[in-house]
Amino acid sequence: MLKDQIRKAVSWLPHLMVICGAMAFAFVLWPQKRNWPEWRPSMRIPADFVESRPGILAWKEPILPAQFAQGTCGACHQEDLPQTPQLNHGRQLIVRYNCIACHRLQGIDRPEMLAPDLTNIGVKVSREWIYKWLKDPRSISDAEGNQVVDGVYLEPRMPKFQLTDVELRAISAYLITQRRKPITRSGSYRTAAGHVNEKDAEDGKTRFNQMFCVTCHALAVTRGGETKLIGGDIGPELTKVGSKVNPDWLSAWLSNPGGYLRHTGMPQYDWSQKDLHVVTQFILGQLTDPDLLKDVPKLAPPTPAEVQAGERVFREKGCAQCHVIEGVEPSNKFGPDLSALAMAGGPFVVDVKYKEGASASLHFVKSDTKELEVGVSQIPHSMITYIQRKINDPASLASEPHMPRFHMSQSDLDDVTTALLSMSGPPIKNAGNRSMVIERTHAEFHPGGRAGELFHRYKCYQCHRFDGFGGTLAPDLSYEGSRSQRDWIVDFLQNPQTLRPTLTVRMPNFNMSKEEASVLADGLIGPLRNTRVKEGIEATEFSAEMAERGKKLYEQKYACQSCHTIGSTGGYVGPSLTNVGNWLRPEWMDAWLENPQSLVPGVIEPRHSFSTDEKKDVTAYLLTLKQNPSGDFPSPLSAREGQR
Amino acid sequence: MKILLVFSLALVGLSSVAIVASKRQVTPCWCWPGSLNILENHKPHGEGKEYASFGSYGAETDWSNPQITIPLDYKQAQGKRMFYQQCVWCHADATPAGPSNRSNVSPDPPLMNDGAILNGKSDASLHRVIALGGAAVGKSAMMPPYGMVLSDDEIDELIAYVRVIAVPEYRKSPASQKK
Repeated sequence: MLKDQIRKAVSWLPHLMVICGAMAFAFVLWPQKRNWPEWRPSMRIPADFVESRPGILAWKEPILPAQFAQGTCGACHQEDLPQTPQLNHGRQLIVRYNCIACHRLQGIDRPEMLAPDLTNIGVKVSREWIYKWLKDPRSISDAEGNQVVDGVYLEPRMPKFQLTDVELRAISAYLITQRRKPITRSGSYRTAAGHVNEKDAEDGKTRFNQMFCVTCHALAVTRGGETKLIGGDIGPELTKVGSKVNPDWLSAWLSNPGGYLRHTGMPQYDWSQKDLHVVTQFILGQLTDPDLLKDVPKLAPPTPAEVQAGERVFREKGCAQCHVIEGVEPSNKFGPDLSALAMAGGPFVVDVKYKEGASASLHFVKSDTKELEVGVSQIPHSMITYIQRKINDPASLASEPHMPRFHMSQSDLDDVTTALLSMSGPPIKNAGNRSMVIERTHAEFHPGGRAGELFHRYKCYQCHRFDGFGGTLAPDLSYEGSRSQRDWIVDFLQNPQTLRPTLTVRMPNFNMSKEEASVLADGLIGPLRNTRVKEGIEATEFSAEMAERGKKLYEQKYACQSCHTIGSTGGYVGPSLTNVGNWLRPEWMDAWLENPQSLVPGVIEPRHSFSTDEKKDVTAYLLTLKQNPSGDFPSPLSAREGQR
Repeated sequence: MKILLVFSLALVGLSSVAIVASKRQVTPCWCWPGSLNILENHKPHGEGKEYASFGSYGAETDWSNPQITIPLDYKQAQGKRMFYQQCVWCHADATPAGPSNRSNVSPDPPLMNDGAILNGKSDASLHRVIALGGAAVGKSAMMPPYGMVLSDDEIDELIAYVRVIAVPEYRKSPASQKK
């Protein structure tokens, strides 16, 4: 009886095993398997990406060493995150150093202009200067002869190529023959090389400072034996430019930069003939260095053989990757593809396939080699040391590298490494079809008509931001139409001031006429609106009583004076409110008091919880703050001195 | 009936094996999912010594002694970022943008590394003054509320940063927890 039953049970055994197996899978294994990172280690899949800890959820513990951990964030986050300053800075540096010229990188598009157009370089500089520049682009040195390294942004972007004397002669010969368009001379003043009037040069210096050239251009200043570059990073550093450029080119450039370089960021100023002359004299007379070209051998006029060799070297060395010369096209496969660099750090070889069907070569570091032997050096087998070595000293990894040498501080190098380690695949286009990294300053906002012409002539977008495009030096003007009163903008354009007590004015005075300023102001106010600002609040709605209550709120309950200055008293954190009644529109004040971060994300103004009445009262008070035209209020500077 | 009996017996058997296996932390066969206990003790095999210097999320120079660099963990590094965005203007003697606003505000705001003042406050009371502002806790209204600008986590990160830069050093003790 029992034996019979056992025999029957045995005959069920295969079915039973299948059923039990299915149930075991369903109840035990499947729920685990869905959690892939926990499941993976049990399958013994190797996952030793540098310091990764297999078996622990990847996002709880970073896969990269802490210092580069932000690279992991960048694998998915294409837009800048406030929490990852290192990654954001690294991405900016990658753009700044023109890595995109030779390498394919994830999410970065090639901008229209990477480096100056050389089609007409022969009219601008001498062959000797080209030789010197190619040999070593950095020329600022301190008293001891050490090259000044004063922050990457003030140094030339051109990296140092390892070129022989023959190559230098060849390229300089090729470039000096690039003269497609003669200089169009303008004006009655004429400056010959070496003929500089001292007095005019001094006047030019004053004018140079008055026009805030240093907002964009840096100059080397030696104080107390220490040489430093002081000034902005938007244009090139100008300390020795007088020894570089041809005098005729300089005056033609200053009067119309766009005539020489179509993509230039330099505004076209409305110079008077006299100003143009004295500033030219200053640049040619004082911004010079007689020793700049002393190491350059005598160069005879270029021979056709030299020019031909130069063209070849120009292509081979990758000059054409950044610089435009008519008829020389950049190659799109000059350097290795780095768009999946981070993936290559593991044991897998990543073969990136693009739509065109072309597979891309990748640098990768095999994890089974203990040390990567390239050339004479031995570096530890890690992606990070490899990247850093490659950028800092490419010659140590390959005997004749194509890659030039980049000089950067260790912290910049770490940031670039972080950004490179975030590159995890072919270019990702996000919804708005915008690049991950916003490349060179350019405008997407184009006001129409005459205002548009002025906008592009004065290059407002070089410093200001409009709808997410443009420079970051000056305030974002995306909502200027909702923020500022028209008359105030017109006055400001004609006579720029600083609203911040601790900042010196940096906006150049473009010598705009009232008519031009009005046209530009109208062109900006119309489209630059924020829909969160309720329109239609009139200044007449506010009474004197409200203003009185507002004053109390301002001074006592909310203590706004801890950050804002009115007249001579108050703090330096926010803008001065001395003239706010003429400056801001009442509807902007109302919306701003309600929620400043909703208008300008990340702004440091704290958000208070004002009641509706309180908002109205404070707005009423702010509207009474007007500086009378004669400027009775003492300037912030004298106010500060008065307090001491 | 018999089928059901055999089936449930098999299930009981399987689950008891599962329980035993997970308690003893053994892996019966390759297809068995490892338990998290094992994994947390697992030594990563890719850990190289060359990353010893790559170990922190950031660093801050000791305010009172520029020779000393304080390594920051993740929370503290985020706190540092918040500090230089929001607080540095009044709670430090120098700011990234030039002169400090500290002298314009009275009473003087404490320096953020002033352990003599801040070590005595509990995390909760610091959190309250940052989130609600000075006026809400009976101090100067010059300290605005940040509760609607910073999230609770961000304020906690800020406090973590304040603790790590404190001079004299902050020690979490029962005495310091009193308000």
